[in-house]
Amino acid sequence: MPKHMSVLLNSWPILLLLLPLVRCSDGGSTGNEASRQVNVYSHRHYDTDKALFDAFTRATGIEVNLVLADDNEVLARLEREGERSPCDLLITSDAGRLGQARMRGLLRPVRSALLDSVVPAALRDPEGHWYGLTMRARVLAYNRNKVRAEELPTYQALTAPQWKGRLLARSSENLYNQSLMAAFVAHYGPDSAQAWARGVAANFARDPKGGDTDQLLALAEGIGDVALANSYYIGKLMSGDEPERARAREVIAVALPTMGGSGTHVNVSGAGVARHARHEAEAIALLEFLLGAEAQRAFAEGNKEYPVRRGVAVDPVLESFGTLTPDTLDLAQLGLNNATAVKLLQAAGWR
Amino acid sequence: MATRRSLGARGIAPGAAVLLALPVLAPLLVVLTAPWHARAVEWPHVWRTIIPAHTSETLLLLGGTVFLATALGTGCAWLVAAFDFPGRRIFRWALVLPLTVPTYIGAITYAALLGPTGSISLQVHAATGWRPDIVDLPGLCVVLGLVLYPYVYLPARAVFSGGLRDALDAARLLGARGVRRFRAVALPLARPAIAGGALLVAMETLNDYGAVKFYGIRTLTTAIFQSWGGLYDLGSALRIGGLLLGLVALLLLLERRSRRHRRQATEDPALQRTPLRGARGSAAATACGLVLGLGFVLPAVKLLGDAWSVLPRWEAATDLLALGRTVGVAGAAAAATLLLALLLSFAWRHGRGPWVQALVQASGLGYAIPGAVIAVGVMTAAGGLDRALGLPFTLIGSIGVLVYAFAVRFLAVALHPVQGGLARQSIAQDEAARMLGASPVRTYLRINLPALRPVMLAALVLVAIDVIKELPLTLILRPFDFDTLSTRVFEQARIEAMEAAAPPALLIVLCGLVPVLVLDRLAERRAQA
Repeated sequence: MPKHMSVLLNSWPILLLLLPLVRCSDGGSTGNEASRQVNVYSHRHYDTDKALFDAFTRATGIEVNLVLADDNEVLARLEREGERSPCDLLITSDAGRLGQARMRGLLRPVRSALLDSVVPAALRDPEGHWYGLTMRARVLAYNRNKVRAEELPTYQALTAPQWKGRLLARSSENLYNQSLMAAFVAHYGPDSAQAWARGVAANFARDPKGGDTDQLLALAEGIGDVALANSYYIGKLMSGDEPERARAREVIAVALPTMGGSGTHVNVSGAGVARHARHEAEAIALLEFLLGAEAQRAFAEGNKEYPVRRGVAVDPVLESFGTLTPDTLDLAQLGLNNATAVKLLQAAGWR
Repeated sequence: MATRRSLGARGIAPGAAVLLALPVLAPLLVVLTAPWHARAVEWPHVWRTIIPAHTSETLLLLGGTVFLATALGTGCAWLVAAFDFPGRRIFRWALVLPLTVPTYIGAITYAALLGPTGSISLQVHAATGWRPDIVDLPGLCVVLGLVLYPYVYLPARAVFSGGLRDALDAARLLGARGVRRFRAVALPLARPAIAGGALLVAMETLNDYGAVKFYGIRTLTTAIFQSWGGLYDLGSALRIGGLLLGLVALLLLLERRSRRHRRQATEDPALQRTPLRGARGSAAATACGLVLGLGFVLPAVKLLGDAWSVLPRWEAATDLLALGRTVGVAGAAAAATLLLALLLSFAWRHGRGPWVQALVQASGLGYAIPGAVIAVGVMTAAGGLDRALGLPFTLIGSIGVLVYAFAVRFLAVALHPVQGGLARQSIAQDEAARMLGASPVRTYLRINLPALRPVMLAALVLVAIDVIKELPLTLILRPFDFDTLSTRVFEQARIEAMEAAAPPALLIVLCGLVPVLVLDRLAERRAQA
């Protein structure tokens, strides 16, 4: 064997030991750099968000460093990084997760008169641990040739025998279904909630499979007549121009069901400043930017979400679904009831 | 085995080698010891409600996938190794190609074609009124079998095309015809190789999350995520991870039993192929064509079509940067994993005592654990190291920890071929070197390793392919603003923008082509050596 090869082979254990010390130079380090930056962990995988971060950098000179991953995993990472975490701002797409992050001491309270005045009290943490950025509603898409909106006034209506073999929904593993169920638990208690889930599951046209968009496409194909889906997936489908989805756009209409007495189920995606943030001022600046009129319009138009800021117009496609009256339930309840909701959904046979 | 034990080194080198390799076990220990260190408040519910349903569907999926992958892999390997038929030369290497398709991409692509609202399904429905739907448990077995069979095909082909000539010639002289020669002679002799491949298929099936989630199948892996994300109970999730480890340990034992009567590799020349003419030749070509067409060509063409349709909007710069990072990370991870595998194999070959053997075998268990669970173990270990060293920053989110995590996850992929290669080396040559006064380290470096070069290259390539396809580990552990191809696919697929996910998905497949073809050449050369 050549000499250099054997040197290499002999010294590699030492190299291996040094390996963990190799760090990526792209931001995210100790925070004493001259340039201003903010480190973001986010679960929002949208092109709108990336464009907004770029706009923020152009406007303020503050660099945005980003890690995108799923909520739970991001929380696990934050927890294990502890006080050494480089994360300044946590963005998730579920109020329940934000509540979890708060309960596990991963967020710090932020005082900002601006933020408090812009975000309605129901859509933020009372002590400023997190603020809602956008709202999504869990609504019903239906086949306009077979169903009338009046038949779908409430979520409870879905358990009626007339819907047997006609409902479409994705699996109970999906967070948005869990959060709808958590709202049911909060409003009506576990027993009624379970009876509701059992009634819905009994009316499924098929075993849950695929994502929200798949339910909408199945609706267009006549596999079912009513589909439970998030408003922004419907908004994206209805405003798209893919020829193969033209039939879905022709057939689908949307009803905004209520929880009986109190409005349509909504969830927020939102953000909070990390407990050990080293760039708090920059993080707050980014939060304020994302809640500014310009960014809120971008969320509405680009991603078909309901803006949380008062005075920003809802996208015309969402507008055509009808006027949204959000459920007034305290969003913290979604997180508190999530585990119960999951257990009930499983027991109810909603795969 | 007895001879190896008698060769036990007196020095401290083997023990030191194992100690150095122990960090690999740390994340696995986090998972295995979860019942003692992690609270699991929801465990009674998980045990009663989730585990039974999820275990039974896991076993069905496992059985169906492994059966299909083994049948396809072995069948195709026998055809190309024992017969001459039209197109054989192309099929011989092309049948390896599905190895480049990650299971989640294969599954979602198939759903877009043959799911309830897939493009082919819609046409079939319009023409016949019947609606094909591949998005269910049997359908997923088929899809996974079609993309995973090369794990069986490669080793089976290597055994069939070399090393069997004498046995098969004897069978021919005794009057055994084609099928009987296969069933009575070739298959039993190739069984250890096939079992090794089937084990890899099983592990790939067990750790899949993307495909099973999309198809609505309840497996132990989805149970982990339900407990973690739905019930907010990471403790229960880790316990399920431990169960999964137990299941894999069982499979490992089964595989080792199948090796018990292993025949030593021989120096036989390559197998003489029987020409198939006329209808039989066409049938063989059709069979191989069907497997290749369904396992690779169909999904690849679909991805190509989708990529073409979004080409005007393609963010080329982002994806090409991701391509560069994917290649870089895959290369670094493959090198680190191979180094660890060599270290452990050294202890295994030259060390003394059953505990060395046990540790070395256990260090390969990470392969079957879902990446996200490995990530928790790795983050726990790295976070502990941060505190122990009093670092001002965290190691989590560094390239080094990402590479380390890949080594933990994919060690088995490098370890098994290296151990297999070492097992084929005569123990007498080690003894000769030792009697001439060479230390175990020197013997290993000068005698054992040089002969292992093709195996080492194969191990590097296999790990690189796995890293290129890997998603969850990269997603959680990556540094800021660090995209690989698989995270690019994920970001688009997560928002249900499947067409936009096509260009990076296609790049993953292309990126895997080179290593897969290298692997194929290596396997062939080994077969002929």
